[in-house]
Amino acid sequence: MLLEVQNLNKKFGGLQAVNGLAFGAEEGEILGLIGPNGAGKTTVFNLISGVYTPDSGVIRFQGKNITGLKSYQICIKGICRTFQIAQPFREMTVVKNVITGAFSRTADVEEAKRKAEEVLNFVGLGGKKEILAKELTAIDQRRLEVARALATDPRLLLLDETMAGLNPKECDEAVSLINKIRDKGITVIMVEHVVKVIMSLSQRIIVLDYGTKIAEGKAEEIRSNENVIKAYLGEEYRRAIRQ
Amino acid sequence: MLDTTILSQAIVSGILMGAIYSLVSLGLTIIFGVVRIVNFAHGEFLMIGMYATYFLWARAGLDPLIAILITAPLLFLIGAAIYKSLLQRVAAASDFSKIFLTVGISLVLQNIALLIFTANYWSVKTSYERMVLSLWGVSISYPRLIGFLGAVILSFLISLFLLKTDLGKAMRAVAQNREVAMLMGINPERVYVIAVGLGSAVAGVTGTIIMPYFYVFPLVGVDFVVMCFAVAITGGLGNIKGTLLCGPIFGIAESLGILFIGADSGLIVAFLILILVLIFRPSGLLEEGRL
Amino acid sequence: MKISVKSFTRPRGYVPLIGLIFLLILPLFLPTYFLHIMITMLFFAFVGEAWNIVGGYAGQLSLGNAAFFGLGAYGAVLFTHYYNISPWVGGVLIGGAAAIVLSVMTGLACFRLRGPYFAISTLAIGEVMRLVFLNQRKFTFGAEGVTVPYKGNSLLYLQFVSKAPYYYIALALMLLGMYVTWKIEKSRLGHYLVAINQNQDAAEAVGVNSMRTKQIALSVSAFLTAMGGTFYAQYIYFIDPNFVFGLGLSIEFALIAIVGGVGTVMGPVIGSFLLRPAMEFTNAFLGATYTGVHLIAYGGLLIAVVMLKPEGLMGWLGGLYEWFLKWLPGKEK
Repeated sequence: MLLEVQNLNKKFGGLQAVNGLAFGAEEGEILGLIGPNGAGKTTVFNLISGVYTPDSGVIRFQGKNITGLKSYQICIKGICRTFQIAQPFREMTVVKNVITGAFSRTADVEEAKRKAEEVLNFVGLGGKKEILAKELTAIDQRRLEVARALATDPRLLLLDETMAGLNPKECDEAVSLINKIRDKGITVIMVEHVVKVIMSLSQRIIVLDYGTKIAEGKAEEIRSNENVIKAYLGEEYRRAIRQ
Repeated sequence: MLDTTILSQAIVSGILMGAIYSLVSLGLTIIFGVVRIVNFAHGEFLMIGMYATYFLWARAGLDPLIAILITAPLLFLIGAAIYKSLLQRVAAASDFSKIFLTVGISLVLQNIALLIFTANYWSVKTSYERMVLSLWGVSISYPRLIGFLGAVILSFLISLFLLKTDLGKAMRAVAQNREVAMLMGINPERVYVIAVGLGSAVAGVTGTIIMPYFYVFPLVGVDFVVMCFAVAITGGLGNIKGTLLCGPIFGIAESLGILFIGADSGLIVAFLILILVLIFRPSGLLEEGRL
Repeated sequence: MKISVKSFTRPRGYVPLIGLIFLLILPLFLPTYFLHIMITMLFFAFVGEAWNIVGGYAGQLSLGNAAFFGLGAYGAVLFTHYYNISPWVGGVLIGGAAAIVLSVMTGLACFRLRGPYFAISTLAIGEVMRLVFLNQRKFTFGAEGVTVPYKGNSLLYLQFVSKAPYYYIALALMLLGMYVTWKIEKSRLGHYLVAINQNQDAAEAVGVNSMRTKQIALSVSAFLTAMGGTFYAQYIYFIDPNFVFGLGLSIEFALIAIVGGVGTVMGPVIGSFLLRPAMEFTNAFLGATYTGVHLIAYGGLLIAVVMLKPEGLMGWLGGLYEWFLKWLPGKEK
């Protein structure tokens, strides 16, 4: 198990955002994390990546306890996340954004530059190196976000709603990129709403509702799971099932 | 063993001065709460109020308490004008712009005052300035007492204004949620102008009521503004109740500092409290408020 | 940056070189009064660079750098006065070390604070230092100030009879400030500072320890500023808490960087080269009759820059310089 989460709990004021969550991610797999809006998916990412500290519970990465570590420490350990709304360094160029990520593994400027260029080519932003991040299109900003995360040489990549708002063609490009990432040996956990994508990409899927895990298993199993359909109130899933 | 009379005197002085700090910080906190700008020039509004009061006394023989009727609208207009001409343009800009704009305004106002009024210290003379009230061994000078009462009454009136009047509620609404306030038909720009005008007027009026026992000189605002920040931040920038509470606390801390440590230590004590508060509770002792 | 003989045949190479040579020979023919102005220009560019590291690149606006300045100044003077120790030790080493310690305390207390809170808390720290030094009359001579004990012409005691040696030291300081800033800008530290400035949460997500990064920057800034304080004391021969720990000085450090261009190497140089002569001349001509006029101009300029060109004059001047380079002989793209 690359990542192990045990009995994770997080409360905000009166709201139990994450409730006794336990799951694991195997090395090399693509794990899907789905659930209705407000189910706590991004909170889980925030807990794993160190933005929040859990109220209780344990998070283990590569066998070592990382619960309570700060986000930069967790990045150094090998987990990197993207944000739901892309957070580039807006006034920096694309390449500088990624160099900043690469610096987490080396202090040498030339080495960081080389790594950055390699990653940018990998995600398909090679031709836009010197453009300011704020001038990129939304989808390119997402790509930049992924590139910057990849530059930190993660073993585990947490992708938060990378597909939101993309048209089918862009979706396909994103799917192939994620497959390429998996082929490099990086484990991926993705939060997604676009059901078709999740079903096709992930080997396993975990379903959250109101902070609790209500189902876990392979795509086909989830698809027909009563609790899951109930949680989503049916519509979204019925459409996906018919495809 | 410390003489309890001296201690009580210090504490009473602290409370008297604290009400003044509360009042002037109230202006600062209103401006921040509504417009989200930390007004580094706040002390200069106090200074302008003091100079205006001085001249109204020197040329027209007006007692400071009556002068309030003139300095309040005067400072309101000055504040509103500064907002419309300068602050409005950076209200949505970075913190950097907001901070240094008001710092620049402060520099300009201080030195215009220096230019026009010279560095001399001026004061007003009132009929009651020599009178002293004696309560259980503690002596309170009349000007200070009147200043204290004035500050308390004005703080009360302003709180009432914010809580009960439509305009006050509109200001609080904009402070809490601008978009929704707009949906309710409130014009935020108008509220911003009034908020800055009101905050400035409060500072100016504080200047008026302290004229009987303070000297005015171009840099008088500097010491006040620093204390203001301490009070307003500790109380939570934008939190009215917090500010009103912290004024006396800092007044007493200052008094005790002067008593136990030495002449200039009042401010040191205040600052140390501020720094400690910022370390342990970055947004102030009480919640950073939305009025 | 690869420097070869060939690079000096291009305008981009030889213009700065000519500028440097010009600066080096200036003391040979410049009258004393103007030399003094040059010294303040160079010196303020240096302390402006120091402020810029944290204020410009990291975006943490300090209004209390005078605290570090004063430590360097008082360290230099008091250690000479009491123990006959050279200001290189008393000011630069001890004062500098004290400044670093203070910067660490400041960082721990204030770096969690965003925006105006950081500015206000640094202002408070500067004021506390001023008040403490005002108060401790027994050791620091309080408001009367201290004079530097006269040692004649002495490199050991950092004192000179003529202005020229001071000029060269000030020039060296400015070049030091520029060099340190340039080095930081290109390094990982520089990238991290800008990243923190733009988006601290995103920076942390990609491995940036923002507390430690900001702390390193502040410590460097504090040490350099303290060096500036030492130089100032040894040049002016007299210091008092209200000036060397003063809010006015803290604001001036910021102003120089802001007007010139925050977050650039040349910014503080431009800011200083514009503001200092302007201030000296306004003071000289109008100061006697109209005190404080230059400060009105300062304030007005700050307002103008903030409202019209927050990035500072580097924006225009940079473009102007590039255009100028193209007109000169030599291969320039």
